[in-house]
Amino acid sequence: MSNNGSAVSIKEQNKSAASSLMKKNIRKFMNNRLALFGLIVIVVMTVACVAGAIVGVDYNTPNPTILKQAPSSEHIFGTDTIGRDLFARVLYGGCYSILIGVFCSVLSSVIGAVLGAIAGYFGGKVDSLIIRISEIFQAFPQLVLVMMLVALMNKRGLGNLLFIFVVTGWMTTFRMVRNEFMSLKTETYVKVCEAFGMSKSSIMFKQILPNVMSPIIVSTTTNVAFFILQEAALSFIGLGVADSTPTWGNILNAAKSVSVVTNQWWIWVFPGLAISLFVLAINFFGDGLRDVLDPKQQ
Amino acid sequence: MFKYIVKKLLMMIPMLFLISIIVYFSLNLTGIDPINFMVSPEVLSANQDNVEALRESLGLNDPLIVQYFRWLGNCLQGDLGYSFDGTPISSLIADRLPYTFELAGYSLILSAVIGIGIGIISAIRQNGIIDYIGRVLAVLGQAVPQFLVGIILIQIFSIKLGWFPSGNRISPDATSPLADAFFHLFLPVLTLTIGMVAVLMRYARNTMLDVLNSDYIKTARSKGIPEWKVYLKHGFRNAMKPVLVILVFRIPMLVGGSVVIETVFSYPGIGLTMTNAITSMDYPVVLITTLIIAAAMLICSFMVDVLNALLDPRVRLGE
Repeated sequence: MSNNGSAVSIKEQNKSAASSLMKKNIRKFMNNRLALFGLIVIVVMTVACVAGAIVGVDYNTPNPTILKQAPSSEHIFGTDTIGRDLFARVLYGGCYSILIGVFCSVLSSVIGAVLGAIAGYFGGKVDSLIIRISEIFQAFPQLVLVMMLVALMNKRGLGNLLFIFVVTGWMTTFRMVRNEFMSLKTETYVKVCEAFGMSKSSIMFKQILPNVMSPIIVSTTTNVAFFILQEAALSFIGLGVADSTPTWGNILNAAKSVSVVTNQWWIWVFPGLAISLFVLAINFFGDGLRDVLDPKQQ
Repeated sequence: MFKYIVKKLLMMIPMLFLISIIVYFSLNLTGIDPINFMVSPEVLSANQDNVEALRESLGLNDPLIVQYFRWLGNCLQGDLGYSFDGTPISSLIADRLPYTFELAGYSLILSAVIGIGIGIISAIRQNGIIDYIGRVLAVLGQAVPQFLVGIILIQIFSIKLGWFPSGNRISPDATSPLADAFFHLFLPVLTLTIGMVAVLMRYARNTMLDVLNSDYIKTARSKGIPEWKVYLKHGFRNAMKPVLVILVFRIPMLVGGSVVIETVFSYPGIGLTMTNAITSMDYPVVLITTLIIAAAMLICSFMVDVLNALLDPRVRLGE
């Protein structure tokens, strides 16, 4: 009986150790009220936006009889300058804004992590080549690079914006992953793997990368907020997504007119609140994640 | 140290060259024909031969690489070319660039003073009123989009209260240009400052807390040095180094932010010039403004490198 028990136990122990660490982390996260608040807000807002899109609320039909109406029981956020229901637009815009944020931050993290792993692990010429490339990208403020590419493509589509954000957004993750790899590749376990003749790619991505995952996850989370804000700023100055696609930034574009700012507060206050609340929630959530996953970074 | 600075400076030249090539060639890919801006469409279709001669004389038929070097040569001699509406770009830049410098410079100074000040105070008086106000401000400043902050400020200070103008750089009938410029600059500078302060404050607070918990502060205290001296001489000076690096590191954010903020306040700086040039496809102007901003970025990152090397000798030796 005892024999049998000990054979299983090492694996079991590992598993139970892992799950108790997980439990501890979850408890730690739950105790962080702000982070929990952030998570709840993120979930609620995302679900509301997606539900709105699935139900198919009408966000796009102008109704000339109800121009610029203040919030009422029928239109709880009021209507915009050409009579579209603002609540429906904020819901739909949320879908696009959140999609842009999540898609861009995940993809740019992947690119940054892969390039960072290659540069950090191989070092030497490969490293300095990739560093040069990232420096060229960094020489432009991201916003300016985006504007230039928008000018280049001569078209304001969702796809373009996604592409541009990903291409210009990978540098910070890249730097971080590269530096981590530089120090991790001298560790004994890497030397052991090399001695065993393990292939370079599996050492990089299966052995070293998992140790860098925590900061990557944290920075990916906070990047979602960054990209949402970036999209809003670009759409606001009229260089973001085309007007036909509602995003939070595009809805706010109406606030460029002084008469809207003065007379129709609801047109800019509600989408503004939506962005601010969502970004706030992501920042709280990201801070909480950092406390749990990456305690030395505080 | 001198060698390190010279090396970093020299490395900026090929970078700038490379960036100018990328920008020049990619803008040519847009397929915008400058002839269309010079001649009206009817004339264009009627006088095909003359247009061809015009092209030839302007050198538009030369290979792109020849055109590029001609443009570069002109730029190096101070001739930046003309915008599509005929204004010399050099005079456009000479007009607009100082405005952006003003905007960014004042914001930088103001945010450094306020951000570091509040950060240090809230580290010393942890959980005091200023600490709480600072933390709320930092959280909000990072969550509310900067242009929205601008709109809210316009709504409050220029529409409701009427204290400040909502845009532009100077009113046409200004009696005292200096006071007028101050009134126009106030709101955009405040907007940019709020965004910068949020980050800076948090960082200054954390650095100062780290420093205050270190052993040499305890030693200083145990020697009976007055508290204010401990904070200022021992704490502040050591906390400043990393904060300064972050400050310089944030300048690109300031430049990017000012592009948007200039649009919000219709403030006639480089950012607004560039935004307008992009929407009107005026690519000679896009070219120059992009290069100016890229050069500013390079200088900033050069300053970060030098600052880092000054503060941390390991960086110099590692190179």
